[in-house]
Amino acid sequence: MAESAVRVMVVDDHPIWREAVARDLAEDGYQVVATIGEGAQALRIAGSVRPDVVVLDLLLPDMPGVEVARGLRTAYPDARVLILSASAGQRDVLEAVKAGAAGYIIKSAGRAEFLDAVRKTAAGDAVFSPGLAGLVLGEYRKLATSKAPDTPRLTEREAEILRMVGTGLTYKQIAERLVISHRTVQNHVQNTLAKLQLHNRAELVRYAIEHGLDSA
Amino acid sequence: MWRSVAVFRFASLGYAAVLLAVGRANYQHVPLAWAILGAMTGWTAATSLAYGGRAKRTRLLLCADLLVTAAALFSTIAVQYPRSIQNAAMPLTATWVAGPVLAWAVAEGAWAGLAAGLVLAVCDLTLRHQHLQSFYRSPVLNGSVLLLLAGAVVGYVSTLAARAERALQHATELEAASRERERLARGIHDSVLQVLALVQRRGAEAGGTAADLGRLAGEQEAALRALISDEPEGQPALLDELDLRALLSGAGSNVVAVITPADPVLLPGDTAHELTAAVQAALDNVRQHCGAAARAWVLIDDEGPAVAVTVRDDGPGIPAGRLAQAAAAGRLGVSQSISGRIRDLGGSVSFTSAAGTGTEVRLRVPRAAQRA
Repeated sequence: MAESAVRVMVVDDHPIWREAVARDLAEDGYQVVATIGEGAQALRIAGSVRPDVVVLDLLLPDMPGVEVARGLRTAYPDARVLILSASAGQRDVLEAVKAGAAGYIIKSAGRAEFLDAVRKTAAGDAVFSPGLAGLVLGEYRKLATSKAPDTPRLTEREAEILRMVGTGLTYKQIAERLVISHRTVQNHVQNTLAKLQLHNRAELVRYAIEHGLDSA
Repeated sequence: MWRSVAVFRFASLGYAAVLLAVGRANYQHVPLAWAILGAMTGWTAATSLAYGGRAKRTRLLLCADLLVTAAALFSTIAVQYPRSIQNAAMPLTATWVAGPVLAWAVAEGAWAGLAAGLVLAVCDLTLRHQHLQSFYRSPVLNGSVLLLLAGAVVGYVSTLAARAERALQHATELEAASRERERLARGIHDSVLQVLALVQRRGAEAGGTAADLGRLAGEQEAALRALISDEPEGQPALLDELDLRALLSGAGSNVVAVITPADPVLLPGDTAHELTAAVQAALDNVRQHCGAAARAWVLIDDEGPAVAVTVRDDGPGIPAGRLAQAAAAGRLGVSQSISGRIRDLGGSVSFTSAAGTGTEVRLRVPRAAQRA
């Protein structure tokens, strides 16, 4: 295995899927460092197997996937989390992404689409399916009704781009339509997510301080 | 309810016995009175048992109960001195006469209770006043009015209680159904969905017949996922508002993706239905012009004061100018029916089309419908 191979950990409680995903990844040159069926175990070994990417199913037998995504931030902050789920509730997906997951892809996506998502995640890019764009857009719409001064807002351009992603346009198509570069589209999308995650973290910290949990 | 009626009957029977023992002076045939009281006790025991079981609680029994009670009431004539009766002494049956009134009320509701009360009140008044002309100033009228009231009130309350019980049972059934659905959803996620997704994926890679199988598996997977991801608890308590997400999720398929926010998008019922119909028309348009295999996306964007739904397809698109040309010639067909519906809701429709990125229809409807 090459020194530079991207290290991937697969967390999914369904053995057939776990193996299929691991095989696809291995064939594509990734180094699968662990395949695990339980969230707690994943959090325990993340530090020692040091994955660059964690492919995470949200519906796990022992703990909510959202908690795993959150826990990975502390267990091994360098890992980027890609949610791969079959029928997770939309609220769960949104919470996992706000907790720091880099993207979300549905299990029925094709092999190529999946590998592309892993590649993007490893490169530090957000993986924005149309579904996720809809969720993020909805979250900003909800935040827009909040009066709090530090609530993140969408710029006109960001809203426009999210709407385009939400109707299935690729970054390339969006770039052509808006006459901007592919990279700029990517940055706008990334930015919407980063603002949400930052806000989410600030909210958590505020909550912790208000409830006296910060000494822990 | 029935148990309380039985308790009342036995208690009033005891009261009648005490009255008989203490007020012996009013009776000309004391042993006969005790015999009748004994018969009343037997009847009370028999009816209480019968009323306890649902099967024996027939109208026949109710009528028999009323007749026996009326007979017992009239037997007072045979055992008491006529003078005592005239002086408004308590009849032999005392408060026991209310038994069938309560039974009728509990069994058949307020009107039946009232009717039974009326029958016994008339019997009572006839018993005391051979001259019916004077009954309206009799103190006995008090008891009759109370009897009628008891029948009406107990009947009403028992109807309410029965309704409440039904409502509770219904709620329990709903809860059980939703719990069962959750269990099924978990089970389906753990097995069927995973396998279907896998078949779809492997099939697409293998090509040929396997690709067809894969595509079929994908359709089933999408349908199943939509079925179990409907969140019934997301339904609002207000029945006149509907969650647009739930309505539009039915439009989803393996070629149509419905993209929604995580929270319910509530609209007044008729607005939600009209908007859904317009979206459906737009999707029909896509089928018609771009074929059944064309992919489409439906994005729900809850802007707050307005709700926007964008429908985009990946078809060839309409060349620039063609749309305006068609509109000018009045040949927009289905598009016209979309615009009509949305205009009626006080909203707006815009069409965007570009070669390579298909056609996009954006429907925007204000929350508080401004009707023309």
